[in-house]
Amino acid sequence: MLRIRGLKKKFKNFQALNGLDMDVEEGALYGFVGPNGAGKTTAIRVITGLLKPDEGTVEIDGKDAFRFRMEVRDAFGYVPDEFGMYDNLKVGEYMEFFAACYGYTGLVARNRCMQLLEQMKLDDRADAFVDSLSRGMKQRLCLARAMIHDPKLLVLDEPTSGMDPRTRLEFKEVLKELCAEGKTILISSHILSELAQMCTDIGIIDAGRIVLAGSMSEILQKVNDSNPLHIRVLEGREQAVAFLQKDSRVKTISIEQGDITIQFHGNSRDEARLLEGLLAAGARVNAFMREQGDLESIFMQITNHDMERVVMRGEE
Amino acid sequence: MPLIILIFNGLLALVSLLNMYQAVAQVRILSQVQYSSFLQLYAFVVTLEFSLLMFIMPALTSGSISGERERQTLELLFTTKMTPSDIVTGKLFSAFGQLLVLVVSSFPVLFVTFVYGSVDFLDLGLLMVCYVTVAVFAGGIGVLFSSLMRRSTFSNVCTYGVLLLIAAGTLMLNLFLLNMSSMQIRNMVVPLGETRPVADSGGAVYLLLFNPVMTFCEILRGQVSGITENISLERFLGSRPDNFVTQNWVFVSIGLQIAVSLLLIWGAIRILNPIRNEKN
Repeated sequence: MLRIRGLKKKFKNFQALNGLDMDVEEGALYGFVGPNGAGKTTAIRVITGLLKPDEGTVEIDGKDAFRFRMEVRDAFGYVPDEFGMYDNLKVGEYMEFFAACYGYTGLVARNRCMQLLEQMKLDDRADAFVDSLSRGMKQRLCLARAMIHDPKLLVLDEPTSGMDPRTRLEFKEVLKELCAEGKTILISSHILSELAQMCTDIGIIDAGRIVLAGSMSEILQKVNDSNPLHIRVLEGREQAVAFLQKDSRVKTISIEQGDITIQFHGNSRDEARLLEGLLAAGARVNAFMREQGDLESIFMQITNHDMERVVMRGEE
Repeated sequence: MPLIILIFNGLLALVSLLNMYQAVAQVRILSQVQYSSFLQLYAFVVTLEFSLLMFIMPALTSGSISGERERQTLELLFTTKMTPSDIVTGKLFSAFGQLLVLVVSSFPVLFVTFVYGSVDFLDLGLLMVCYVTVAVFAGGIGVLFSSLMRRSTFSNVCTYGVLLLIAAGTLMLNLFLLNMSSMQIRNMVVPLGETRPVADSGGAVYLLLFNPVMTFCEILRGQVSGITENISLERFLGSRPDNFVTQNWVFVSIGLQIAVSLLLIWGAIRILNPIRNEKN
């Protein structure tokens, strides 16, 4: 659905994008993550045609985004980090105005607007002024507005910033529903925990280029494979330790209050074989568990930046 | 908007009723009808409408695009099927449409003069062309600054500043040069048998071609005699020989002002193009 190759953009002395490559598959809910200043917004502005890159190509739905600028606008809907609202318009009028911007007028426009307002649970507010809506409602209206022309791709730039947890949860559900309906969604955020819960794919950007990309499960597997493995042995700890020392995939062994913690490089099958070996060696194991990795830890490993540059769960 | 139409037309109707009452009272006292008073009413209404277009049009247009920027809706429009030219012309037509409603709604008052004659449809047609020209001209300046500036306040100030420079500045310059020329001629020693030359404002008179106020005054002077004598073209031209431009002043000035307006609108469209206008 979205294919980016070698995107470069420089602002005076600052290289905002430095050879960005990115692929978003059709139907994916793609989380675009990176610390502040990594180039997320610049990339999104290039994708949406608001900024011209110095180098590189962007293809949306198989079409060059710069050569076929007008055609490509039918293929995506954009939700910026700021709502962009006409406060003096009513919700219905706001929707119909943007419908007209895409060439939909009259009954067709009205029906499409009502359908989207219903989908976003805003149909009862059609006659209310935009100004009177809550932040969450405004965000849903913004999403409805972005879908007025039924685009295949939705580009959302930090859509949940400034929302309370409940509204954020509701918004996440809406996005999941849209994804289930077949929409491809590119969502940028610096709140990692949020993306980890809903995205099917993820791309981590740092210093203007993608440093890690793939499906959520693949990435988390990579994190887990390098995380410590905790083993609790009831009897036969010596045998267990002796067995572990012989295994070349075990890098370190530490024993604390009867629990053994090892650095073990291997996948789930290797873990199962290790457990079988321990039992065969005469150890009575009553707990065997890999420490679960999260996106934040891998993000910190990859970007190698200090904590200030990324908003963690505790700060939200 | 309906309230504005009501107030505007209410005031016009009141003035015309008072004017008619005065004319009727004059007939009773002096037993004579002064037809010039109806023409004065006509002059009053058209001047009011012209001022409305010249001074309200910039207010409506100078904040139109910068306002979109302030609301952060401009970029949203750029991601739709709207082109920069759609946005600029849309803003211009929207402002013009609002004012046109006011102008057209005042026609019944204007047509009172038709009862007594002396102003015909051709005169009104020329006046309408002048209205459209001043609206596009003032609106063009407004949208150009609105595209250029990030803040509506700055755009407003610049628009009115430039408009004032064109409307009052060129006129003041010509009046100044005319006075200088008069002084020189007064102090001049004229040989016996020769006539004293007539003062003029020199080549600066052609700057008035860009002044919509001057165009309007010339149209009005052709329709209502004895009006706007102080800023008449004849006065600024003095004894300069006639040429194509001076003979067709109104049409040439309207043509030039429309050409400048189109340039201003084109400039606004160029500036608005997000790809051309990216801030590095």
